[in-house]
Amino acid sequence: MAENCRISTTFVEYKESGKRPLNYEPKGGIHMNQITLTSGGIVIVRPAGELDHHTADSIKREVSRLIFGGKASAVIWDLGSLQFMDSAGIGLILGRMRDLGAVEGGTVILNPSPTMKKMFELSGLGSHLLEGTQEDAIKRLGGILHGK
Amino acid sequence: MENEMTLSFAAISENEALARMTLTFFVAALDPTLEEISEYKTVISEAVTNAIIHGYEEDRSGIVTVHAALDGREVTVTISDQGGGIENVEEAMQPMYTSKPERERSGMGFTIMESFTDSLSVDSGQEGGTTVTFKKKFSPVQETCSSVG
Repeated sequence: MAENCRISTTFVEYKESGKRPLNYEPKGGIHMNQITLTSGGIVIVRPAGELDHHTADSIKREVSRLIFGGKASAVIWDLGSLQFMDSAGIGLILGRMRDLGAVEGGTVILNPSPTMKKMFELSGLGSHLLEGTQEDAIKRLGGILHGK
Repeated sequence: MENEMTLSFAAISENEALARMTLTFFVAALDPTLEEISEYKTVISEAVTNAIIHGYEEDRSGIVTVHAALDGREVTVTISDQGGGIENVEEAMQPMYTSKPERERSGMGFTIMESFTDSLSVDSGQEGGTTVTFKKKFSPVQETCSSVG
């Protein structure tokens, strides 16, 4: 049952001008997925726990809503807290790249585990991988979004 | 055969985690590396998800059965369903092929499974039912603690 699921998604939306998040209610402990929208229109998705076919849907809904609502033009997938991912994660990221196609946005996949890295490389997503901080990813997207 | 187990469960997506967890415990005594266990869990997850989504079309009355057997440091795992079957196994195993593009399947499941196992076979047909069998050998435990002085 969804209400008993340990992996919950909390949406954190930052005010345009400030850094304090709106609607921030940590409920899921260490297994919480976090989705943050920066003032520059970049969605930062930080999934936690295990990402499979069962858990991918809630992230998909939230990120697609932000892209189609015109609020987001790029996505950073920060996988540093993710303990497990199967090909549902590949489908989730490829699907959002398709959503972004209409707005010419960028995608960065940050800090995947060695196993996840192999899966991304097999899927042709190797050029989107980055080891570093969220700031590094935002810098790279700045270059992509401004055609540098 | 040193050990074996069988697990059967309803074709519900919540049970993907159950299968991964149970089969991880089954090989825990071999002390696999983090990467080995991660690859092994991925293969199980792909095969069980295929059975639920493709075999049973998420019909919750379907039953997925997983059998595992240990021989030395090699595990042989069989994941089977009595669902719809794969019409053309060769086509289904091509990278990026998916019969359900609307469901956001990446089409990479079989490619990933082949990459993370020592051998993989898929037995299916139009008459129904699919059995995926894979073997994975875990590397010998490295002696990392040595006495000093």
